[in-house]
Amino acid sequence: MKRRTFIKNSGWLAGGITLSNSFRSFGIMNDHQKINIGIIGCGDRGKGIMSVMKDLKNIFNVVAICDVLDFRFTEAKKLMPGSNLRSYTDYRQLLDDKNIDAVVNATPLYLHFQISSDALKAGKHIYHEKTMAFTIEESLSFIKLVESKPRQVFQVGHQYRSVPLYGRVKEMIEKDYLGKVTQIDCRWDRNSSWRRPVPDPKLERQINWRMYKAYSGGLTAELLSHQIDFINWAFKSTPETIIGTGGIDYYKDGRETFDNVQVVLRYSEGMIGNFGATCGNSREGYIFKIKGTKGTVELTVNEGFYFPESKTRKELETVDGVTGATKIEWTKEGGIPVLKEKSKDGTWYALKEFYDCIQSKKLPSSNVYTGAKTAIIVKLANESMYQNEIHKWKPEYNIVKK
Amino acid sequence: MVITISLLINLFLSFLVQKQDGQVYTITGNAQGTTYQITYLQNDEVVVKNQVDSILNKIDSSLSLYKTYSLINQFNKSDSGCEVDAHLIDVVKKSIATYEKTEGVFDITIKPLVQAWGFGVQAVKSIPDSSEILALRKCMGSKMLILNKNILQKSNSCVQIDCNGIAQGYSVDVLSNFLEKNNIQNYLVELGGEIRVKGKNSKNKQWTIGIERPADGADFLPDQQKIYINKGAVTTSGSYRQWRIEGSKKLTHIIDPRTGFPVENELISVTVIAHDAMSADALDNSLMVMGLKRSFDFLSNMKEVEAFFVYTTDDGLIADTATKGFYKFLN
Repeated sequence: MKRRTFIKNSGWLAGGITLSNSFRSFGIMNDHQKINIGIIGCGDRGKGIMSVMKDLKNIFNVVAICDVLDFRFTEAKKLMPGSNLRSYTDYRQLLDDKNIDAVVNATPLYLHFQISSDALKAGKHIYHEKTMAFTIEESLSFIKLVESKPRQVFQVGHQYRSVPLYGRVKEMIEKDYLGKVTQIDCRWDRNSSWRRPVPDPKLERQINWRMYKAYSGGLTAELLSHQIDFINWAFKSTPETIIGTGGIDYYKDGRETFDNVQVVLRYSEGMIGNFGATCGNSREGYIFKIKGTKGTVELTVNEGFYFPESKTRKELETVDGVTGATKIEWTKEGGIPVLKEKSKDGTWYALKEFYDCIQSKKLPSSNVYTGAKTAIIVKLANESMYQNEIHKWKPEYNIVKK
Repeated sequence: MVITISLLINLFLSFLVQKQDGQVYTITGNAQGTTYQITYLQNDEVVVKNQVDSILNKIDSSLSLYKTYSLINQFNKSDSGCEVDAHLIDVVKKSIATYEKTEGVFDITIKPLVQAWGFGVQAVKSIPDSSEILALRKCMGSKMLILNKNILQKSNSCVQIDCNGIAQGYSVDVLSNFLEKNNIQNYLVELGGEIRVKGKNSKNKQWTIGIERPADGADFLPDQQKIYINKGAVTTSGSYRQWRIEGSKKLTHIIDPRTGFPVENELISVTVIAHDAMSADALDNSLMVMGLKRSFDFLSNMKEVEAFFVYTTDDGLIADTATKGFYKFLN
């Protein structure tokens, strides 16, 4: 970094780029160097990641943005006033920029595989938004491709795996605070259309790609995949039976993906996961409950509470006083906070992990193997609801790191 | 008629049961830079928060280094000593007795050292060197304290006292005595983790006290050793809550008055069970300074005092051990 600053200050910008290229190509970087980032896809998610990277400006340096819609550049540049962002409408040109170490792929689902394949081939580290892939074939091909580039970090945006709150919940499950878990309830509800405003009707399919089956996995891929992935991680499991149902039940506005979905996953250890989302009610909004014989964990986006079952509660309440110890603090509702402090936005932790993995060449906790399994579940759940079929997990989906 | 009599007897009996059980009253609040909790069983609310706060304020006016007007600060500022109140008299008497019993391991004249190491009221810029410590130690030694009725004197003007190692335990005793004066026979008083109990809890069982066992830190709920007790005090001193990083070293707030340096031994925490909280509180600090082996030797000569130790083994693991008599409190 110092080297580049010096050269820039001397006014030999062109020379500077050439010089630093020799250090930057193929992921070779000096220790603790800032990572130069190119954002591919500047919709809500891409811009969201940019604003988190602004908070992490000591480790990330967003240098380029790419989108097929011109007006997105103006929006994105507003987030980083005064910065000299290079803009591309063709992601391949962005990938040719040797000064870029890593890219964020925040494009529509149907483009995920193509763009990240090219980015891998261009030597970039990738923060790849969830869901990892659109089809089962893509999911499996991704693994081979990422394995062929062992020096590059490929992290999938199932960010719960990086958030300390969710890590603690995983630990609580492992340490048997919940007892035998039989039921998981997740919802991601809203009372709105899930559409984005369209300035020109010609852009409808590009802006509202989530509404069309050719581009998107709908609510299952965009929302429910987070919790589905967390359950895979926390229980070291994948479902054996995948059932989905849904429909266009309220917003009959020409959309193809469903506005009301329910996915039921049955796991071999005797556990049922219910993952639902509707665009027609916002009372509960986001819920995530993991229910066991000893207690329940209820999670909001940034907080978690443990509600012991009455027998467990009695055991916990047997202490009248504590000496040299931490008192258990109960909420009015009878819960115990999982962590004392509220969590930050999950993307913040995920991007920190991305940086750490680039520095240490570690495999991210949300990686190509875990991302593939979740992508396959999403695909099978959607097929189940579109075709009215029950799907079974196949042995060939059990991909593990060699 | 028979039925009526048995009904009456039943009514009478149920009245008796109710009388015996009483209501559970809980008072909680903040004092001495920490929290307190009082639980008692009685038919009527005979002790209320205002009374408790007023007692604790009075103690602060006597013993708190954080109150500029306190008697302890007046004594510390004085050249030769000053008139003190009953609180300070009780605490100083007990402190001198413990000083003698522990051969100087417990010493309230430690104040200049505590301040120099940065665990006092004022912040410090650097840690003291050996020569500074040597100079400060000339002002130390409880032998330089002379209590003559209600006059506390010092034989050297630089002598200053810090009763923080005993004040919380003392406060717990004062509150316990206050409850007993109000005919409360079943109570738990806790201030800053120092506890005294009597009788039974609301479930008509012995009071249950949790002692933290600092495990791997990853546990969602603290790992607690439970003890069951119907009379006496339980206090804990630990090096794991109050410490400061200085360079590459972790300094505990527990300073050995004999050397002038922060204690470096295997102990992480010591919990003491004794008749009263002031005795227990004075001892838990002393044992932390003594280390595991000397603590056992010291306690072997003491009756009705038990202790539970959490310590680091040579392999760096965390283990616990206790005096023989401690184990009877586990059931």
